[in-house]
Amino acid sequence: MQGIAIRLHDLRKSFGETAAVAGVDLEIRDGEFFSMLGPSGSGKTTVLRLVAGFETPDAGRIELAGQEVTGLAPFERDVHTVFQDYALFPHMTVEQNVAYALKIRKVPKAERLARAREALAEVRLEGYGARRPAQLSGGQRQRVALARALVGRPRVLLLDEPLGALDLKLREQMQGELKALQREVGITFVFVTHDQEEALTMSDRIAVFDRGRIAQVGTPAEIYERPATPFVASFVGTSNLLDAEVARRLVGAPGTYNIRPEKIRVLKESAEADEPDHTTATGLVADVVYLGDTTRLLVDLDGGGRLTAVQQNLETSAEDVAAYRGARVRLRWHRRHAVRLPS
Amino acid sequence: MASQATTAARTSGVRRLAGALHRRPRLRLALLLTAPLLWLIVLYLGSLAVLFASAFWTTDSFTSQVVKVWSTDNFHQLVTTPVFREVIVRSVGVALAVTVLCALIAFPVAFYTARVAPPRRRPLLVVAILTPLWASYLVKVYAWRLILSRGGLADWLLAPLGLGGPGFGLPATVLTLTYLWLPYMILPIHTALEQLPAQLLDASADLGARAGRTFRSVVLPMVLPSVAAGSVFTFSLSLGDYITVQIVGGKTQLIGNLVYSNIELNLPMAAALGTVPVLVIVLYLLAIRRTGALSSL
Amino acid sequence: MRLTRTLRTAACAGAVLLLAAACDSSHSTSATGLNPPDLKAPTKLGRTEGQVDLIAWAGYVEDGSDDPRVNWVGHFEKQTGCQVHSRVAASSDEMVKLMKTGEYDAVSASGDASLRLIASGDAAPVNTALVPNYKDVFSGLKNGAWNSVNGRMYGIPHGRGANLLMYNTRKVRPAPTSWSAVFEGASKYKGHVTAYDSPIYIADAALYLKSTRPELRIKDPYALDQKQFDAAVALLKKQNADVGEYWGDYLKEVSAFKSGDSVVGTTWQVIANLAASEGAEVKALVPKEGSTGWSDTWMVSSKAKHLNCAYKWLNWIVSPKVNAEVAEYFGEAPANSKACAETSDKNFCAVYHAADENYWKRIAFWNTPIEQCLDGRTDVRCVPYAKWVQAWTEIKG
Repeated sequence: MQGIAIRLHDLRKSFGETAAVAGVDLEIRDGEFFSMLGPSGSGKTTVLRLVAGFETPDAGRIELAGQEVTGLAPFERDVHTVFQDYALFPHMTVEQNVAYALKIRKVPKAERLARAREALAEVRLEGYGARRPAQLSGGQRQRVALARALVGRPRVLLLDEPLGALDLKLREQMQGELKALQREVGITFVFVTHDQEEALTMSDRIAVFDRGRIAQVGTPAEIYERPATPFVASFVGTSNLLDAEVARRLVGAPGTYNIRPEKIRVLKESAEADEPDHTTATGLVADVVYLGDTTRLLVDLDGGGRLTAVQQNLETSAEDVAAYRGARVRLRWHRRHAVRLPS
Repeated sequence: MASQATTAARTSGVRRLAGALHRRPRLRLALLLTAPLLWLIVLYLGSLAVLFASAFWTTDSFTSQVVKVWSTDNFHQLVTTPVFREVIVRSVGVALAVTVLCALIAFPVAFYTARVAPPRRRPLLVVAILTPLWASYLVKVYAWRLILSRGGLADWLLAPLGLGGPGFGLPATVLTLTYLWLPYMILPIHTALEQLPAQLLDASADLGARAGRTFRSVVLPMVLPSVAAGSVFTFSLSLGDYITVQIVGGKTQLIGNLVYSNIELNLPMAAALGTVPVLVIVLYLLAIRRTGALSSL
Repeated sequence: MRLTRTLRTAACAGAVLLLAAACDSSHSTSATGLNPPDLKAPTKLGRTEGQVDLIAWAGYVEDGSDDPRVNWVGHFEKQTGCQVHSRVAASSDEMVKLMKTGEYDAVSASGDASLRLIASGDAAPVNTALVPNYKDVFSGLKNGAWNSVNGRMYGIPHGRGANLLMYNTRKVRPAPTSWSAVFEGASKYKGHVTAYDSPIYIADAALYLKSTRPELRIKDPYALDQKQFDAAVALLKKQNADVGEYWGDYLKEVSAFKSGDSVVGTTWQVIANLAASEGAEVKALVPKEGSTGWSDTWMVSSKAKHLNCAYKWLNWIVSPKVNAEVAEYFGEAPANSKACAETSDKNFCAVYHAADENYWKRIAFWNTPIEQCLDGRTDVRCVPYAKWVQAWTEIKG
């Protein structure tokens, strides 16, 4: 049975008039890669800082491995943090940065150096120990920050948007490496991000934050396929939210429904209307956006309402998709892809 | 029509010139830098060079006119005369003492103004630290003369402890100079502490360091270049001062007094003496360049 | 008492006022080996030129711009039509340098400067008959070694002062009558003795040794051979242990005597007056050994472009009323005997001993020590002023 690494109970924190965290309950399991996803100002970073001990909650409990740590100072908690802008000590070498936590714990020098080298090897930075942080690239600094936080083998590693400052290519590469590293060291990772794709790619589970509360906790697939609220649906991936009236016409039942654009097939208007378990609707293509690998079409439905559909560019090219504009099309999707959102 | 044409011609002339300048960045730079460089080289370095050169001349003992004959007598005297050696050592000692005292006092003050005080009040505190600089130097030094005089504030305050004030002399000089130059030390330290990223302090605590450890391992090393930068001010200002010591120094002599007392009748000797602080400060700058302080000046 | 005095004092740090003992003037002229160029003094004056360019010590040419109540230039300009352009010089050296440019008509020269100006031919002899007020100048100031050569006057005397011994009447008892109070007897007031901060103060020690150690055979405190000089320096080095501070500007001495930081030391009459008026319990006197002192002279340039206006100025500045004003403003004894009737403080001349020739006989006026002994000795070389400067540094340590 898996243990609980972090348990948050009714956590609250306000800054002045603003409630940054307005009652958060959460359990994060040992060894999990857990993401806290949300737009800026949704409270995810504050929760992280509360867990790390940089802020004290106004109310609520924080437990680490079953021990309450709510009032403890950062240095009394077995968690380490990887900061958004790395927070490397500029006056120390890479090796000194990495060995800092060990030095504080009075680990003998020889062991300290050996473990620092080992940690640098884990993040593939062998031979960089003597450099200063200023002499490294952004990606390398990121790795040093990781090595520094990992070297003490904390129970939990907190990562505050650690990839935010990297460019796209590097970010994608680091995502893979981070995930691999986490599997290798087996430490619980709590990963804060506003990038839904990043969260979906890397996480075992995700908590989606909305205005200081958790809107939904689940695996990436659950979050994506079965969003619990319209907010989650629209924040994670692109969505077609059907309001009550459109839903009644298309789905045949009242309530708020969501259809992911990639689930919608775009056909000629003359295509056959009926296919078992599918829903169909006709409309006029209002706009076409060519995205390289895919094409996004905005379709104004005949009965009112607008749907976004994404098509793989399997055979079509930029010139072909341009011809779609103003064309009449038939849209079709499987019934189960119209997901009803709890109201 | 005619005037329009000339205006047009003039405008196009200006445009051509601007265009020519745009295409020749070196020319542009040269034009821009000529005046300040001339100032620097001719007035500043030039006067230093003249100072150094005149140190190798001598004076006519009756007219006090400078005799422009090359001689190293002045420097020879400087090295061999015990009183000059003593005064130089004393001056450097005073400058170092003032610098150390300034650093010790400035650090907690700057820490308060930069990190402890409520952010809204910080600019006010900085202004408060700067206000003494608005008062006349002489007024401040004379105020210290009153404080330190017999039966003055210092005596009165220390009387209950069975002590007396330091009176006029070397300690009074160090004390007064420390007071005078303190803002020059507080400001760079304040700036450094203010710019110290909060995340670094968080990171240190996060990795297990208590406050004391964070101070020693993170705050101090990062602020040290600024302390060194401030020390450039306190050290060089103290080394060059000769008025404070005249007012509160009792009979103490520093290099500046020697320069001053020689300037009328033995300009070359004064010049030779004057090169000493220049040399000491150059050495000092070279020494602290290693700390990286010069980039935080 | 004015701040100008401070400036003046600072300037005086190196500018020694030359004046051999007033009584043996003829003799020191040859001793210094002066052979001035034969320049003619004018025999009569013409029309004024409308302008005069002066070099002066701060406080000597006041046109009301420092203090509206202090203005003796305005009346002069109205009366003579000569516009005054004055330049304040900070030292004797600067005065000499400025006079060499030939752009100035007259200068308020101090002892050492005056002698140099005469020797180099920059200063012209003055026809005293053309300066009506000259006849009222104290005879002790006429035909001095510092302002005349071979009986020809090279200027019009301006004023003089003595360096006195001041003491705190409560702390220093019994009242001192000798300079021994700041030398042998100084240890009694250890840390509270003060002295004038200038190499020329060595002469004060020499003056004291002149009467206390006759075997040194000091005749003139500004003409010291190596042995005499060493004795004076040794005395001052001993004194240094008891000195609390040396004073260079008058404010410092006033405050030190007021607070009690200094209780005994050298002073000027004007400082003694001010300290007393501000409540310090002090008295000042010329001790039995006599004192050192200073004197200034207005001289005319040999290249003067505005000679007539310059003569008008010389006459004006020593006129009874103006001479009284300057003397009171600056704090020294006036040169004109009739000035005493014009001072705002009727006691002024008495306080400053303006007319007391016996008093001035005891004063050894500042002079520039040079290698040729000023006292006429030829068998020995005297210590030049440059060495005095060095010695002063060593005395202070």
